[in-house]
Amino acid sequence: MAAPLRSGIGVGSRQDTRAVHGTSFQKKSRGKLVSIPGTRPSVQNGQLLVSTGVTSLDYVIGGGLAVGTLLLIEEDKYDSYSRMLLKYFLAEGVVCGHSLFLGSARDPPEEILQELPAPVLDDIGCAAGDEGQAKLCDSEGEDSMKIAWRYQNFPKVQTALAASSRFGHYYDVSKTMDPEMRQASKCNTFFLPDELPLKSEAEPSTMNAGYRALLRSIQNLIHREGFDTAAPQNKSRNILRIGLHSLGSPLWGDDICCKESPSDAVSLTSFLYGFRALLRSSLCVGMVTVPSHLIQNRAIMGRVTKLCDTAIALESFRGSERETNPLYKDYHGLLHVRQTPHLNCLVCEVPDTKDLAFKLKRKQFAIEVSYLFVQWTMAPQLNITFQKAKQKGC
Amino acid sequence: MLLDVIQCVESGRFVIIQDSVQCCGRQLLQSFMCAALKREEVVHVLAFDVAEEDLRVPSDSGCAQRLCFHDGYTDPLGWNDSPPLTVLQFSPGEIHALLSRSEHPKPVTLVIDSLSWVLRHHPPAVVCQCLQELRRGGAVRSIVALLHSDLHQQGIVGSLCHLATAIVTVAPALRGHHTVAKTTRRTRSGRVTQEEECFIIKEDLTVTVQKQTHHPGQRDTEQEEPQADPAAHLTFNLRLSEAEKEAKDKLSLPFVFSQEKKSALLQPRPGAGQIIYEPDANDDFDQEDPDDDLDV
Repeated sequence: MAAPLRSGIGVGSRQDTRAVHGTSFQKKSRGKLVSIPGTRPSVQNGQLLVSTGVTSLDYVIGGGLAVGTLLLIEEDKYDSYSRMLLKYFLAEGVVCGHSLFLGSARDPPEEILQELPAPVLDDIGCAAGDEGQAKLCDSEGEDSMKIAWRYQNFPKVQTALAASSRFGHYYDVSKTMDPEMRQASKCNTFFLPDELPLKSEAEPSTMNAGYRALLRSIQNLIHREGFDTAAPQNKSRNILRIGLHSLGSPLWGDDICCKESPSDAVSLTSFLYGFRALLRSSLCVGMVTVPSHLIQNRAIMGRVTKLCDTAIALESFRGSERETNPLYKDYHGLLHVRQTPHLNCLVCEVPDTKDLAFKLKRKQFAIEVSYLFVQWTMAPQLNITFQKAKQKGC
Repeated sequence: MLLDVIQCVESGRFVIIQDSVQCCGRQLLQSFMCAALKREEVVHVLAFDVAEEDLRVPSDSGCAQRLCFHDGYTDPLGWNDSPPLTVLQFSPGEIHALLSRSEHPKPVTLVIDSLSWVLRHHPPAVVCQCLQELRRGGAVRSIVALLHSDLHQQGIVGSLCHLATAIVTVAPALRGHHTVAKTTRRTRSGRVTQEEECFIIKEDLTVTVQKQTHHPGQRDTEQEEPQADPAAHLTFNLRLSEAEKEAKDKLSLPFVFSQEKKSALLQPRPGAGQIIYEPDANDDFDQEDPDDDLDV
């Protein structure tokens, strides 16, 4: 049945962020905000938001990732979940039709791109639905419904306006994305061992050679493809999603992970400063993963966090003693929100509670608030009972 | 799991054996070499720590042909003329040159004894990049390296272990003459398993696992309780007999039309009722979790 039309923005409650795009109402006037597929304006501060690919993470960081900002993810110990988040981010870009840039020093970017999760098909492509309609008319046999037969020729879900007007999609991690879908979007890659020879001549600079090459590559791409806001506005705009894997690890030539007083302490911070400046002046959004558990000097990690806009840290239970702890058996790890940005406003969006735990399910990366209540009793013969209440954070 | 790691044949693997002054890991390194030779692989050894005689493994002539020693012990810094191998030669180009000098064209298992010596003379970032480059290139199939973890800062050990696909940490057992090996193995998909085992190494350098002490990473696999049948133990009858099931199937429903009327109604018409569905967060069904919709 047709969805009831809900008018736009009411009091700030959880439902309203979905009400903004749950309606088919379209404003006649030409708004100030550019209408780019896969984006929506924020209800808090009017910024243009894109989805990170994980809807629960979007909720935790305040509705989505603002265009022009940088998301920092502190990796978990074996880099399993942070890599998954990077893949979700890139997969969301493919589905929304954004351009992608992937920089990596360890694994070839093509390998990461081949592992992108497949989107859950119900949401995507009216085109696929039309073909399905023709097919279903012929085969009445097993597909025919007994009671709701009037609906049997409709595709299971039809999106309202366009396939990419939805904000946030769901992905099935057990399947990888179709190569055709991936090739439909423009992916640019940067793989450090291919870009520069290992021994290069030393130019005087605050950044090391690897970061310099990466920054130059991003800058050239932004200028060439016209993502910067200074470019003429005649052609249609798109968003560039930049994903950088494992910055700060020794494979980028940086030794902040190896020593407590590294010789090159400002290399990563200079890069992030330049990178954020590039992001602010262009229609780009960046996601960076950093192996913070290897960085010895906490001051450097503090500087890195300050130089990024939104920062979250993943702490997985894998391989630690918490994995067998019955209190944590429902989750794969804890998620800490280190920082949320103030973007053109005085107050930043902070999640209600800091006790967030995540679990990677097949079709969803769930982030939940975990409450652990411990009931202590004075009498020694009674056991300590643990009561766990689960509340969805999104 | 230790035996699995020793016998693993996948390419691109990087095993680090971490030892300390309490317990030496060199014998385990030799058993890795032995196992690789028995699998008919070509093994190249970069020996920096100890002389060649101490690292030799007992092998027959066929195996001895596939084993190639590069002596970096006698003159590691190149003080004399024409040293066999210097530590400064630890770079991807030079190592590829060394490997190509042997006549076997097959991919090589590279054994490094030890990485600690190399880390003393090269910056750790360069060593990491070199090892990653060696893994990526086709000439080296797998790398097994010995690392003395108490010689380095924690950051260096951590950075190297971050690159490794399997890490074996040896330590003396609390009692007895055994050695305890704590193995951490990481697959490409991000799956991590850990196991702690007691093992001994026999004279012919084969490893036998005595017993497994403790599984920190495994969860207790409880037996699945048999699904409770909800229709059992009730005071009223919820089950259907065969005749009743047939009657139920034969029942004609109120709006079931004949086939012609159905297909006439089913013709696609423009502007027919569209189903517009915006999946809401509350609609997130999850097949795994039956209590997903409970607001507990």
